[in-house]
Formats: sequence, structure tokens, C-alpha cells
Amino acid sequence: MDQRADLRRAIVEWLDDNYLFGDAAGMLTSDDLSFLESGVLDSLGFVRLVLWLEERHAIKIDRKHLTRANFDSMNKIVGYVAQRAGWAP
Amino acid sequence: MTFQSISFLVFFLPVVLLLHWAGPRRAGWQNGLLVAASWLFFYSWGPQLLPLLLAVTALNYGAGLALEALRGPEGAPPDTLRARRGRLLLGAAVAVDLGLLVGWKYTGFLVRTADAMAGAVGLPLSVAAPSWALPLGISFWTLQQVGYLLDVHHGRTAACRSPLAFALFSSFFPQIQAGPIPRSDLVAQLEVPRAFTLDALRAGAFRFFRGFVARFLVAAVLGRLLVDPAFSQAGQVSAVRHWLGLLGYAGQVFCDFAGYSEMAIGAAMALGVKLPENFDAPFLATNLLGLWRRWHMSLTGWLFEHVYSPLMTGSGRLRGRLDLGFLLTFLVSGLWHGAAWTFVLWGGLQGLGLIVHRRYDEAYRGLCRTDRAWVTRRKSRAYLLAAWAITQLFFLLTLVPFRARSFGEAAAFAGGLLGGGPLAPPRLALIDVANLLVCAGLLLAYHALRGRQLPLPAVARGVLYGLLIVYLAVFMPVADGTFIYAQF
Repeated sequence: MDQRADLRRAIVEWLDDNYLFGDAAGMLTSDDLSFLESGVLDSLGFVRLVLWLEERHAIKIDRKHLTRANFDSMNKIVGYVAQRAGWAP
Repeated sequence: MTFQSISFLVFFLPVVLLLHWAGPRRAGWQNGLLVAASWLFFYSWGPQLLPLLLAVTALNYGAGLALEALRGPEGAPPDTLRARRGRLLLGAAVAVDLGLLVGWKYTGFLVRTADAMAGAVGLPLSVAAPSWALPLGISFWTLQQVGYLLDVHHGRTAACRSPLAFALFSSFFPQIQAGPIPRSDLVAQLEVPRAFTLDALRAGAFRFFRGFVARFLVAAVLGRLLVDPAFSQAGQVSAVRHWLGLLGYAGQVFCDFAGYSEMAIGAAMALGVKLPENFDAPFLATNLLGLWRRWHMSLTGWLFEHVYSPLMTGSGRLRGRLDLGFLLTFLVSGLWHGAAWTFVLWGGLQGLGLIVHRRYDEAYRGLCRTDRAWVTRRKSRAYLLAAWAITQLFFLLTLVPFRARSFGEAAAFAGGLLGGGPLAPPRLALIDVANLLVCAGLLLAYHALRGRQLPLPAVARGVLYGLLIVYLAVFMPVADGTFIYAQF
């Protein structure tokens, strides 16, 4: 399976399991939806998501990359991880 | 010069607004004027402390530029000589900033604590604790400056090149006293000229007025009629008066600080500068984490960004220890709020409350995985009402050590809440009862409307606002009061 699609599915499952109580399909209306502004994630969730991504993909997310620009939506997260993990474009 | 003083309302603010918008639309002019006004505002609070602000501004301006110069390109190894120098400089600059805060704010606390500990083992130090006047807003602008340095070091923002823009970032008079604590992206706003719009001026004036009412009328009335009498007689009056005093204090501390924040945001807005929001109807929160996303949002955001997240995602021993992170972060928050053990206790209670909330949430998610009916229950009105009541009651009770001046007073007050005694509400004049009802109405309206206009025709709304203003002007005294958060 395409790595990006796989990661996207895994993030939806993680959000569903940890924050959205099975409502992910209804809440994640767009891959550009801001997780923080829409209330999908809070600051704690942000930290937990980063820890989970680091573990799942064996990458180290540098502190300077912990910004909204990299983690505030599905597209941003998938794009960032793809770049860090060196996936083919 | 305070926000409610005649000199500020009738002279300072109107003149600054007039000169700001009548002058050339250039960042240099606007920033120069606002820096002069801000330094004058700071000077009016303590002339002898202005050099400190200027020195800190110069230090952090230079440190920001140097940190940017020492920052390696993207992907550079962290162990180069340049990277090591960058970390060393960051550590030194942050140490100076925090050292000044600790020196000014906590020396007396540390001396008293050491004296008490030494006395407990029979070695009294007999050192007089110093009581220095705190520089205006030092707790707030120290965090602002440290946040800026961290952002520059980590490459999250560019260093400010304009000394004038940075001087304004460091001293902007609407928010220097007590925030909101702006993020470093405020610098970018100040580096470009601001354009005048009537809408921004009107919205800023409205928010300033709304904040004025909350800060100088509602908070002051609640404090005078309910809070001060209850806390000054902790344990000696009826339980009803204790509970009314505590409820009044929740309203007072909220109106005091949210009101100040509204005034700061409104004044900045009228000058074309957007400050971060600081409160979002916190008394509607249905869990403690949610409450902290709505209360003093700029401080909570700062703590999560610069304390909690680095501790949790770094490579140190605390990595992933989410509960310990909560506790440490809120102990820091407690100590930031005041140099006293009662504030440390308050912070510790918030941390423990968040741990309990997180553990409960995890357990509840486990139930949801086994049976979807638990998801439905979580959305029911009864569940939300219970969650709201527990959250707000917890927060309310933790305000006891926050308000009390000592553990003894906190214990006496807590005992008073549980005490029996006759159902003896405070004796109040009719006008005081009316004022309290107006205060409660304004608090409810704030939470119900959350920035929206009353859903009434414009004429009816105008009449209602007019009547309210007349009532406030005639019947509600403008009290000087004590600005609670200015003490922090």
C-alpha cells in the first residue's frame, strides 16, 4: 500500500481511538482541516501525536520542527513525515 | 498611571491614538511614538526601574541577532562549534532574563523559606527578607522575551532587525503590565506600518470599554461585597458566606484579569496591533484541560510550548512521562503566579487534577472500545452537566489557596466552607444586591454571548446598552481596587 495512504489511515485510527471517540469520519472533513483550531487535538494531544509518530516511524522530530506549519493538519503531518522518512515523492 | 486613571483615559490614550494615526503611515513613526509612550507609561510606575527595561531590551535584541547568526543551516549537525556557541549564548541570555525575575521576585521568598527551614532545625538565620518593588509586569515580559529567544534559536522565527520594533515588542504599553503574553510573531506585525480602519478603532474601543466594566466595576463590586469580608473572617462566619465569598472570588479574579486583557487587546486593536486572546468563557469548560485552554490562554500556551512539550518530546528522562510533565508544568505555573507556598500548592493541585482527568479519560476510552454505548453516554446532557459541575467545583475549591495569604488562612477558609452555622447571608443594602445581580447578569451574558452581539434589533440593543451604561455610571462605584494579576 502507498506509504502516505497508510500513514493517513493510521493517523485517522489513532485520532479516533485517542480523541474522537469514533467520530473521526464526521470530524475530519478535509485533509487541510486545522487540528488545533477545529478542536480535533489539544496541546496534550499534539505532544502525544508527536511521540506516537516518532515511535511508529523511528524518526526524531527536531524541536524546531514542532510547529503548526508541520503538524496542524493531515496533509502537513503526512508531508512532514514523508520528507523526514525519505519517502519517494 | 493606571488604565482607569483620568490621566490615562482623558489624556494619554487619546493623544497617543491621535498622534499615531495623524502622523505618517510609516513603521518608524508609529513605532517611535509607541516606544516613547510605552517608556513613559513604564516610567510612571517606577522611574528608577526604566533602565532595567532598557537594558533587558538591548540584551535580548543583541542576543536574538547573535542567535540567528549562530544558527546553522537546516539539517546541520548539532555538535559543530557554531551550534555549541548558539546553545551557550541561549543559555546565558535566558539565565540573565530568568535571573532578573528570580532576583527581583523570589529573593524574599527564598530567604524566608531558608530562614524557616533553618529555624526548624534550631539554626535561625535572622536574615531580613528584602522587599523590593517589582518592575511593572516583569513576570509577563520575562516570559515574552525568553519565548522570543527560544523561537529564534530553534529557527521558528527570524530575529528582529529593527531596534525600534524590538523596543516596542519589549515594552508595548497596552500589554506590558499583565499580558496577554504575545508570541514572537508579534515582531512581524510591528516591523510593517499599520493601516487605520474605523472598524478596528470601533471594535477596539468596545473591547476596552467591556474590559473596563469587568475590571473596574464588576470585579471591584464582587471583591468589596463578597470576597474581602469572607476571607478576612475566614472560619468565623457562616458556611453560606464562605461559599458566596468563594463564588464571588471566582468571578472577581476572572473579571479582574479577563477585563484587563480585554482592555489591553482593545487598546492595541485601536492602534492596529493584534494581541492574542487570553480568555474564552472558561466557566463553560467541562474538563480541566479544557478549562486551561480557556483561562489565561497566552500563559498556558507558553508553558505548553516552552516547558511541557520540550520536556515530553525531548530525549531526557522525562520523555513521554505525561503525568509528571503536568505536575512540573503547573508547579512552575503556581510559582510564576506568586512567590508563596500557597501558590505552589495551587499549582500542584492543578497538576494533580490534570493527571486525574487524563487517567480517567484513558480509562473511559477503554470502555468506549468495548462498547459504543459509552460514546453516546459521554455526549448526553447528564454526562456533560456532571462533567461541568465537577470541573468547576474543583477549580473553585483550588481558588482557596490561590486567594489565601497563608496555609492557616486557607485551612480556616476551607473549614468554613464545611462548617454549619445559621443560614446567614451577608447583610447588604438594596443597591448592593442590585449591583451583585447586575454583576451576575454581565458574567452570564459574557459566557452566553462569547463575543457575539445580543440577538436583538439594533435599536433595542442600543437602548439596552444605553440603560446599562447609565445604571453603571450612576449606581456602580468605580473602585480603584487591587489588580490581582498585576501582583504576579
